[in-house]
Amino acid sequence: MLEPLTTSLEKVFGFNTFRSGQAAALTALEAGQDTLAVLPTGAGKTLIYQLYGYRHPGCVLIISPLLSLMNDQVNRMHMAGFRRAAAINSLTSYSERQEILRHLGDYQFLFMSPEMLAQPQMLAQIKQLQLGLLVIDEAHCIVQWGPDFRPEYLLLGAIRSQLQQPLTLMLTATAGQTTRQEIAKQLRSQPQIVAESVDRPNIFLDVEHVENEPEKQERLTQLVGQMQGPGVVYFSSKQQATDTALSLQQQTGARVAAYHAGLSSEDRFKIQQQFMADQLDVICATSAFGMGIDKNDVRYVIHYHLPADFESYAQEIGRAGRDGQQSIAILLYASGDEQLPLMLGQANRPEAETIHRYYARPQAFSEEDAAIALLAFYRRHGISEAAVIQLFSRRERERNRALAQMLAYVREPHCLRHNWLQAFDEQSPEHQADCCAPAGMSPDLAQLGLLAKAKTAPVDSVDDWRARLHRLF
Amino acid sequence: MEAADLLALLDQQQFRRLRVIENLLRERKTVSTLYWGQRYHLLYLVGLAKKLPRGALDAPARELQQRGFITVGETPDQIRLSPAGQAAQAQTRYYQPQTQATWSQLDLMAARQRILLAVQVVSQYAHSTKRYYPLTTDLETRQAVRRWFYQVKSARLSEQTFVSLQKSLEQLPEATASVVTALFTGYQQPGLTAEQLAREQQRTPWEITLMQLDGVMQIAGDAQAEDQPLTRLLRSVWRSPVTRSAQQTLAAMGQGRSLEQIAAARRIKPSTAREHLLEAAILLPRDQFPYDWILTPTMRQEFANVLTGPIDDWQYTAMPQALQDRYAFFYFRLYAIWCDKRGVEDA
Repeated sequence: MLEPLTTSLEKVFGFNTFRSGQAAALTALEAGQDTLAVLPTGAGKTLIYQLYGYRHPGCVLIISPLLSLMNDQVNRMHMAGFRRAAAINSLTSYSERQEILRHLGDYQFLFMSPEMLAQPQMLAQIKQLQLGLLVIDEAHCIVQWGPDFRPEYLLLGAIRSQLQQPLTLMLTATAGQTTRQEIAKQLRSQPQIVAESVDRPNIFLDVEHVENEPEKQERLTQLVGQMQGPGVVYFSSKQQATDTALSLQQQTGARVAAYHAGLSSEDRFKIQQQFMADQLDVICATSAFGMGIDKNDVRYVIHYHLPADFESYAQEIGRAGRDGQQSIAILLYASGDEQLPLMLGQANRPEAETIHRYYARPQAFSEEDAAIALLAFYRRHGISEAAVIQLFSRRERERNRALAQMLAYVREPHCLRHNWLQAFDEQSPEHQADCCAPAGMSPDLAQLGLLAKAKTAPVDSVDDWRARLHRLF
Repeated sequence: MEAADLLALLDQQQFRRLRVIENLLRERKTVSTLYWGQRYHLLYLVGLAKKLPRGALDAPARELQQRGFITVGETPDQIRLSPAGQAAQAQTRYYQPQTQATWSQLDLMAARQRILLAVQVVSQYAHSTKRYYPLTTDLETRQAVRRWFYQVKSARLSEQTFVSLQKSLEQLPEATASVVTALFTGYQQPGLTAEQLAREQQRTPWEITLMQLDGVMQIAGDAQAEDQPLTRLLRSVWRSPVTRSAQQTLAAMGQGRSLEQIAAARRIKPSTAREHLLEAAILLPRDQFPYDWILTPTMRQEFANVLTGPIDDWQYTAMPQALQDRYAFFYFRLYAIWCDKRGVEDA
């Protein structure tokens, strides 16, 4: 007979009560039910599988899409006292991978990228394990990324069958009805759904229209100069994140750094830690930043570029105000901004004509082209030409629909929150002054208490190195 | 790497090949790359940027060309400083590494990783923190540091580490010591990134890296010279600049066997054996290579008669046919290396 869930919670984490959704998910899993947990960022999704792993024998295998995040996750497991945790992905060196594989049976928690798990030799090794729980982290990526960038996610259903349908926990912060159905369908599961509202009442929603790029830059500078940090500004391009970080620092005097997947792991570590230690006011980031950042007092999230869909938008603004204090999410929009996500979406999408020619003579094409590599992947997995064409056109319709939804949000004249929650099939509370400011209305930052209180100290500078060294030890 | 970094690696007289510099940084150690690396006095760059993409120096080179700082030689790949470039190079106070002569004897990147993680671990230990995010490093570094930490852990560890680090850093210029310290991560000090320091010090990120490597070399060298906490951690990152395989060929040579015998015994092609010897000749000091056994006095005399002028201008195919028939390219190249090492003035 297992001890009560709360007893384990107390023992392992020292907490008395679960946050909403955690207990329901654990109860469903312990009843042998596959579970799809839709819990907002910061709700403590990791705790669900940590505690399950603590209470049950067997390995917890976590499939996670973000390579750069995986090592962080392992570190967090270590921090929480779970020593037997490791990660295998394409960034893992050959010798390290061999080392982990030699001790595969000893791990309690194993993190793996979908492409790694899709390799036949790896899958064969995993089949030998006694799997206690399969976790699909960031499960919305099955829908968002699958056909475009991560074809391996589409194989997860088949892989799950090959693993004899282990008990599965699907985790995501945001998923409307369509996304939920799609996740369940792809994974060939009928999960019990545990969902909490995506609404974050303490985040004020704001959309601002600007004329053009220079005006957008100017408005951003103004906002960063005025508002109380810490804040995060999201960009769709690494270069623009880097350039803007520099110009913001020069123009506002705020302490700003860029964060994106192009940085070395050492730099990512330092920037994250500086931000956590309040040595930075603003991070100019790409979507690589966020997952796994435990900072409760982020006061604002600004989007410089239009996100491709509501799921990513909700994820990213969810970094604000995790302490429950008043915060704000601002989306800057200039007409034509939708071209960028459209272009990014089409970059990897081959035309029907190309698909046809490829299937007729695959050997005539180079797989160095991302779009061709994707076709080659489908062909190798026995997906027919007709099915592929259909897949891409369906995917395109979905993308367009998602983008149209974002645009409707940008153009929403009455209540942004209503518009937003509707996209997730949720009811919204009555619109009030402190709820949102659709385009044309400006938020009263003073009223919201979001204006900067005092100038922050300058960037941690290189003082006397002896003193600095001494402080370290 | 930026244009300023490339500028610092160029010369006003010698045409230098961009691809050679790139291959040195990327650790593509062919004999030709090593030979020219030696001729350019840039061998210390070997393996400093293993992940540098191919062609990464093309854009900086274009920029230098647009600013009129370089002139191009016979092929577009060969460049040297123009008078304006020479003036620009002289004006900038570009960082000159102090310890680069010994860089090839240490796996610098591994040493750097180990030192950074060890500093973090000891710093957190000094402040009695048990739970913190460790720097992300490869498994080998993590294991080495963990083993080391359990061996040296004591009440005096942090004090000893502090004292020896301070002593090492004092051997370096103040600015270098500052940079090395600011890059450390530890208790309540996330540390600055090279990019942040570069901005603050008005240097390039690559210069900051060179400064840090100076620190790493100094710390490792001192730890080797006298017993201190880091000694054990860094013992295994010292290495010969010559690959193991080339060392074996060289050792066999020392036993007085001919090239063909060595190749047969080691089951390698004679051409591979020759490459091993050239690699060793380039990377080792002159007294550690048996030049006298291979380059006979007659051979040297015959080469000396026809090979005059700057070494860089010597061409095997320009020698008289009879000489080419007598001596393979290997001997020609080895003679050039020998002359280079003797410091024969390029007349």
